[in-house]
Amino acid sequence: MKDVETRPKRYERVIILALLLASLPLILGFSLLTISSLSTNMVTNLDPDSFHSTLENWINLFKGKIATTGGIRVNIWRITLNTLVVALGVAGVVTGISALAGYSLSRIDFRGRKILMVLLLILHAFPGVALIVGVYLLYRLTFPQSHDLVGLYSFIYVILARAALEIPMSIWLMKGFFDTIPWEFEWSGIIDGASRITVWRKIMLPLIKPGVLAVALFAFLAGWQDIIYVRTFLIHPTLATFIEANIEAEYSHMPLIAAAGTVYLLPTIIFFITAQQLLLQSYSGGIKG
Amino acid sequence: MRKEKLRDLSFFLSPMVLMVLLFYLVPLIMTIYISMTRMKNWNVERYLTEFVGIYNYERLFYMFQHDPTFKAVIMTTIVFVGITLMINVFGGLSLALATFFINERAASSYRLLWLLPRMSPIAVYSLVWYYFFHGSEIGTLNSILMSLGLISEPIPWGQVTPWGAWSVIIFVNGLVGVSFGMIVFTSALNQIPKELVIAARVDGASSWQISKRILIPMMKWHLLYVLTWQFLSLLTTYPHLFLLVEWDLVNRDYGTTLALYVFNTAFGRGEQDQGLAAAAAVVLSIIGVIGGFVTLKVLQFEKMMKKPRGDF
Amino acid sequence: MRTAAVWLIALVILGVVASGCIGGEEANTSKVDVQLSGDFTKDVLEIGKVLEQNGVKEVKFSAWGSGDPNSVMRVYGIVEAARRINKIWADNGIDVKITITETHYVASFQDAYEEYLSKQPLGQAGDFFVNSYAFLPTLADEGYILEITDYATAYQSVIDDFYPSLIEASKFKGKLYGLPQDTEARPLYIRKDVAQKIGFDLTDLDEKVKNGEFTWSDVYYWAKKAKEEGAAEWGLIHRKGSAHPDLIQFIFAFGGKLYNPNNGKLVLDVPAVYKWLYVEWKFARDGLLPEDIMSWDWAKQIHPAVVEGRTLFDIGGTWYWTEWQTKQYYAKDGTPRGLKPEEVKEWFYYTLFPAGEKGGEPVTLSQPFVWMINSKAGQLNPKYDELKDVYHKLAFLMIIKASDPDINAIHSVISSHLPVRKAAAELIKDEKWLNDLKSLNIDLDEKVKDNIREIVQATVHPINAQFLADVSYMLEYTHLAPAHPKYPALADIFKEAVDKTLRGEMTPEEAVNYIIQKVKADPELAQNVEIQGEVPKDWKFPQE
Repeated sequence: MKDVETRPKRYERVIILALLLASLPLILGFSLLTISSLSTNMVTNLDPDSFHSTLENWINLFKGKIATTGGIRVNIWRITLNTLVVALGVAGVVTGISALAGYSLSRIDFRGRKILMVLLLILHAFPGVALIVGVYLLYRLTFPQSHDLVGLYSFIYVILARAALEIPMSIWLMKGFFDTIPWEFEWSGIIDGASRITVWRKIMLPLIKPGVLAVALFAFLAGWQDIIYVRTFLIHPTLATFIEANIEAEYSHMPLIAAAGTVYLLPTIIFFITAQQLLLQSYSGGIKG
Repeated sequence: MRKEKLRDLSFFLSPMVLMVLLFYLVPLIMTIYISMTRMKNWNVERYLTEFVGIYNYERLFYMFQHDPTFKAVIMTTIVFVGITLMINVFGGLSLALATFFINERAASSYRLLWLLPRMSPIAVYSLVWYYFFHGSEIGTLNSILMSLGLISEPIPWGQVTPWGAWSVIIFVNGLVGVSFGMIVFTSALNQIPKELVIAARVDGASSWQISKRILIPMMKWHLLYVLTWQFLSLLTTYPHLFLLVEWDLVNRDYGTTLALYVFNTAFGRGEQDQGLAAAAAVVLSIIGVIGGFVTLKVLQFEKMMKKPRGDF
Repeated sequence: MRTAAVWLIALVILGVVASGCIGGEEANTSKVDVQLSGDFTKDVLEIGKVLEQNGVKEVKFSAWGSGDPNSVMRVYGIVEAARRINKIWADNGIDVKITITETHYVASFQDAYEEYLSKQPLGQAGDFFVNSYAFLPTLADEGYILEITDYATAYQSVIDDFYPSLIEASKFKGKLYGLPQDTEARPLYIRKDVAQKIGFDLTDLDEKVKNGEFTWSDVYYWAKKAKEEGAAEWGLIHRKGSAHPDLIQFIFAFGGKLYNPNNGKLVLDVPAVYKWLYVEWKFARDGLLPEDIMSWDWAKQIHPAVVEGRTLFDIGGTWYWTEWQTKQYYAKDGTPRGLKPEEVKEWFYYTLFPAGEKGGEPVTLSQPFVWMINSKAGQLNPKYDELKDVYHKLAFLMIIKASDPDINAIHSVISSHLPVRKAAAELIKDEKWLNDLKSLNIDLDEKVKDNIREIVQATVHPINAQFLADVSYMLEYTHLAPAHPKYPALADIFKEAVDKTLRGEMTPEEAVNYIIQKVKADPELAQNVEIQGEVPKDWKFPQE
């Protein structure tokens, strides 16, 4: 899409090669992880003799076995579902709130706007992880008495608390995206007598799709990979807590962990690829409209 | 008109205000309060009213003064934050620009690749680099260099102090941060009207000139944003360092930043001292806020905050 | 601005008040009580009847455990105990049933502990929690686990069957808070094949170790010889790690101590620590022990070096014995494989950790695991407020049942831990029982059988049972690291010092000073650690 028509091919190859070189450690590291998941022991050096192919790790993983010989079985699908619920929840909350606030910061002048923006940036200085002491206390104070609600409440709380960590960043991002939309698009709507809320919903949101997706992607990843909040607040395990609790340097069967790690990466890769497509489509759509 | 504006503003801003109140302000006040109690082991009933004044702060500063390794921790923090920040911002920018100028398929796969560090669970990610930088012949890097004949003995990367240890932690964290910059800058680039780029191309401008003259100036805002945000998060990050130190891949003294030091003191090995952790959180927050303000001033943030158009 | 501040203060006050109210409300209901008689069946029946009368048909419990993959009986023991109690009820026509709703088992016991800490106050932690004795004092002190002293008096005969030192480890301030689940010893392994090459005669070595004749100076002598004559690449390999450095055995072997029971403080025994670090330093300087052992990889370096005979000595744990059989560490013939029981027996000699100096005592170190009961056990069940005491007593009876000799013996055999009670130690010597276990022809829950089948296949073998019987005597020499909340912090400093000494960054004396400085840097640690003695200036190693 970009400057396709006029781009010199020669440079492109140089850039691709340079990128490849820079990415080499990453490619190597993650390939070895995936390869190891298919081997009886971790493949860490380039010695082909250390690879002994087996599907055992994958079979064990899908059976929910956390060790090579017998032991405890866990419901790996349920754990994956928990992870997905948290990640989607965080993505939803973050995207909604930042799309609202980002618009007003970008388009409406009000007293305290500047302070609010600096405040949002500064909020990041608070180590979310250390703030967890306070967040935990709030959790304790609001914890439901009824046991039927506990599971649900813990999901809601972990989603909101984790989303809050992403909100300052996302609002800033979203504001940036709103800033790039020419004012004229909106003006026509306001002339027609529509309220700002209607303009935001009908005109701005469709234009801002790439931004919404970028923010949602980030929030999803944050929720998907969170460990500290999930471990402290969520009653049920997620993939991250499951893997973390079962990596023990001394006796964990690392190739099994490698398989679990590979699975953990899969949905996000799929999500990213589809989102990337959407991102581009909506962009070209937006510019024409 | 005023009433309407108020309605609009409360519609747009109230969810955010609520979140900030609930999950920043209230916890912050609670954290400050807890930092003055003997709170530990999450035993709220027992310790919430056990007020100890500034004891936790005194303990923390006493350690800062007397711990023989503390100097190394401070040095590590400065070097780590400084260099990783540069890598994050300029690495992210280079990646975004480089993928901007190549065809979409290749660009997509590179972006995906560079997103992997951010998507991996921290334990798995640490495991990857644990094997990669392992200081013996089982380490990936050592085995490559040895088979190329560049070295004859394995190098204990993380144990060469200070720069070996620093390089490993900077590399491992840099990769995580780079993807953030890359995504922000890529999105920003996608928003730039492509007519501008095509026009420049037609005039015979090279990719470098296009970047320098057109693209980067249009991304100033995003640059500032990534710089400040990454600075603040690097200052308080530790999860990606924790396991590397724990597994003895990197030297403990030169692999520990202030945030990790504090985390280990408050939560390390069976002790769960939330009072001390809260005090440390307050100290780190203050450093962060000051750091944040200084960055904003230095970068002349005020000037860049334009009044929004479209108000009437 | 001012209104905002007022609001905030009000909020905080509200928060404090609200939290003060938690748990403050006492439900005004009549409590139901049963007395424990010590007759297990009778007690179970009585509890069953009370539950039935109160309309309780199902009692739900959950079990949390952690550890190596072979130690799953730590939670399955609870499942089996529930089945056995259910059977008693069913046989006597009582329509009540215990269901174990969750068996939560993770590899890292540290992680499991942290999770328990944060979720217990929320009422979301397991009803049964098995973990290291080291955490027991903290959990007991915070009121997170149930005190069972009174319950246990009725079952004194069972308690008396446990090894007394392990019961001591389950106590906090003289009160009992759990029942021992397993323990282990950390032998010094010696490669017989390497020893033979250098003319190191192993006959009756364990006796010489026992009476303090064979000391660390002799270990040094033979390690050096093995290295110099090219019989092995290393003289000694030892464990690494931080949470619980096994190397503190050196402190005990040099007659030092770590804890002062009179004032409840930890002890930094300077002479003993100095001697320990000196030995490490000497071994590393002479190339007998890898100076970077603390960053060796467990699965790719430490274990392969030992099973492939690249060292003469190895300080390990009893669980190594089966770990070497179930994990594929041996790669000498190409494809990595586990050792056969016969090979382990043929290649490895084992003895106590020798005394540091002539005339000293050999030692070993144990870290018992303990069944603990959540102080909120049973709270998900109906009429908890009235029946609380009944539920707690039932939970206690469950851990009594889970300590049945056969359950304990199964755990010991399949995980190479040592039995915690004499009856179980007898059982593992019983060949018939062992054969029945091998074919799983025993009275055990089907689900449990199903889940441990593979482990049983891989580990149940007369050689392994014999090994356990042979090392049981080591418990007489065992030491426990102090279960002091500050001990892990001290252990962490020790580990740092060992690493620096091994790498040659510090001399033993500098390392001792480093430890002292680190201890003093944290006022809270300094308050809890007593520094005793001085560096012995004229001390020599190896001794003549």
